[in-house]
Amino acid sequence: MASAIELAGVTLTRRTQEEFHYDLKRTFFDLVRGRIRRPRKRTVLENVTLRVERGEKLAIIGANGSGKSTILKVIAKVLAPTRGTARVAGTLAPLIELGVGFDAELSLVDNAIYYGVLLGHDERTVRENVEGMLEFAELTEMRDAPTKTLSSGMAARLAFAIATQFRPDILLLDEVLAVGDERFRRKCAERLEQFWDAHSTIVVVSHDMPYVLRTCDRVVWVDHGAVRFDGPAEEGVRHYLDTVPSGAGYARGEELIDVARKSPRGELVVRGTSPTDQGRKVFLIRDGRRHWVTSPDWYDRVGYGWDDIVHVDDTVILEVPEGDVLV
Amino acid sequence: MATALYEPMPRGDASRIVQLTRITALRTLKVRYRGTALGILWSFMNPVLMTAVYTAIFGTAFSRYYDGSVVRYVLSAFVGLVVVTFFINATNEALPTIVSNGLLLNKIAIPPVIFPISAVVSNVFQHAVTTFPIVFVLAIVLTHDPVRVALVPLVLLGLVLLVSGVSLALSALYVFFRDLPHLWAIVGFILWLTSPLFYPVEFVPASVRPYYDLNPVGATINALREVTLTRGPLHLHAIAFGVLAGIVALVLGAALFRVTRRDFMDLL
Repeated sequence: MASAIELAGVTLTRRTQEEFHYDLKRTFFDLVRGRIRRPRKRTVLENVTLRVERGEKLAIIGANGSGKSTILKVIAKVLAPTRGTARVAGTLAPLIELGVGFDAELSLVDNAIYYGVLLGHDERTVRENVEGMLEFAELTEMRDAPTKTLSSGMAARLAFAIATQFRPDILLLDEVLAVGDERFRRKCAERLEQFWDAHSTIVVVSHDMPYVLRTCDRVVWVDHGAVRFDGPAEEGVRHYLDTVPSGAGYARGEELIDVARKSPRGELVVRGTSPTDQGRKVFLIRDGRRHWVTSPDWYDRVGYGWDDIVHVDDTVILEVPEGDVLV
Repeated sequence: MATALYEPMPRGDASRIVQLTRITALRTLKVRYRGTALGILWSFMNPVLMTAVYTAIFGTAFSRYYDGSVVRYVLSAFVGLVVVTFFINATNEALPTIVSNGLLLNKIAIPPVIFPISAVVSNVFQHAVTTFPIVFVLAIVLTHDPVRVALVPLVLLGLVLLVSGVSLALSALYVFFRDLPHLWAIVGFILWLTSPLFYPVEFVPASVRPYYDLNPVGATINALREVTLTRGPLHLHAIAFGVLAGIVALVLGAALFRVTRRDFMDLL
């Protein structure tokens, strides 16, 4: 049986962030001064080989910035490997950050059709199914209203409905989809369950280990762009959790500083465990200091998830010298 | 890193590109004309108003270069302005499209080429229902020459190829050089001035002419005037040069797009 997804020796190098802003003026003066800069590149994926059979449910786990989502993008053909090959057989539904590409001025129907075609479906098929999408999103009455009148939750509902209207051969899920209120979430979950039961191949990226264990048979653990484990889910999750610094066992501030320094990003997000005011604070440990994080959306901006937070006894945190306040 | 200039396209990809381009162009038109009273007539107003202004200022003075006829000056300016406004509008619209759709390109596998091309297509559509028919009518009424009338679509095709090639190149370069719009505004203005729009070509000094004639927009204007305004023996070389400029621009633009495309995703 041919496999659904086959990555063979995929290596991906990308330009580093600091090279992101070019302009003609600077390039021109650099040339005049005889300084031709070659863009610096960094390896994001290294020799990733992965075979997913038809109908398999696979979870990709790993720390933030380890390359999990990049693998999904390679499978989705958004990113082309620098070396190696990526082969995908069958239709594909990428559920990666939904709703990008809606035009605020256009009606729900127009946006739904456009989004459906972008996702790879035939225009006529999308047109025939557009009412079904609106119905699932519970937005039929608003079909001709401009999309700007939707709340963000409604827009996410619509995007989910479009992306899941057709049963794909391969479903890519970046993080567990949680859309709308509790009732609608259950509805989404039910629809995804159908795909699960219907022998679709599913690749999910998640930090939610209980969810991974419940839904997937196989786990691929990605670390610094390379596959570190590929095998049964339980074994993979156990291996992975063994390396994640957990709060228990940190008895001295210096240990926190040390773990932070050795982590991939050179930092560690910690939170106190006691219910006192002092203990509820979140700190970023970096460069031997604890920086107090005051803004709740800071994690999103920096790219941390809630499960990246390590819970530590407050007195241990307070042993780390005080640093800045991060807003 | 070697990038093949030609990679055979898998079956189905070509039809998907056509479908995506069509639906993106339609969407652009829909967004643009939502709630505008004059709608599509705007693309008609531009060359008409410019022609009126040029005629009011230069018409009388320059008419002797146009067989002493102000009407001929008006027609000549109008045909030139159709070309140049189409060129400027379409390229300006296509320039930011890859970058502005960067988020989308990061989530879904879409051939990026559809964005600049659909910008060109939506402009072609606008002109196809406004100025291009007028160009046809002019050719029929003024030349009485079935050969010239038959060549009008070919010349317009050359113009569309030229605009497509330049648009592909600009949209690709903008990914790397975010100050490109400033430069392109200046280049657009230079092309405008160095095209024989509102003054007779005779004004251009002989020493400058060889460089002047390299302007591809000017070449297309000459070709379009040849098939719409002139009578007598056909200057085939003028038409051939106009169409050739389009083909060369498209080949170069598409090649640049293909070579740089691999690096797009790192910068979006």
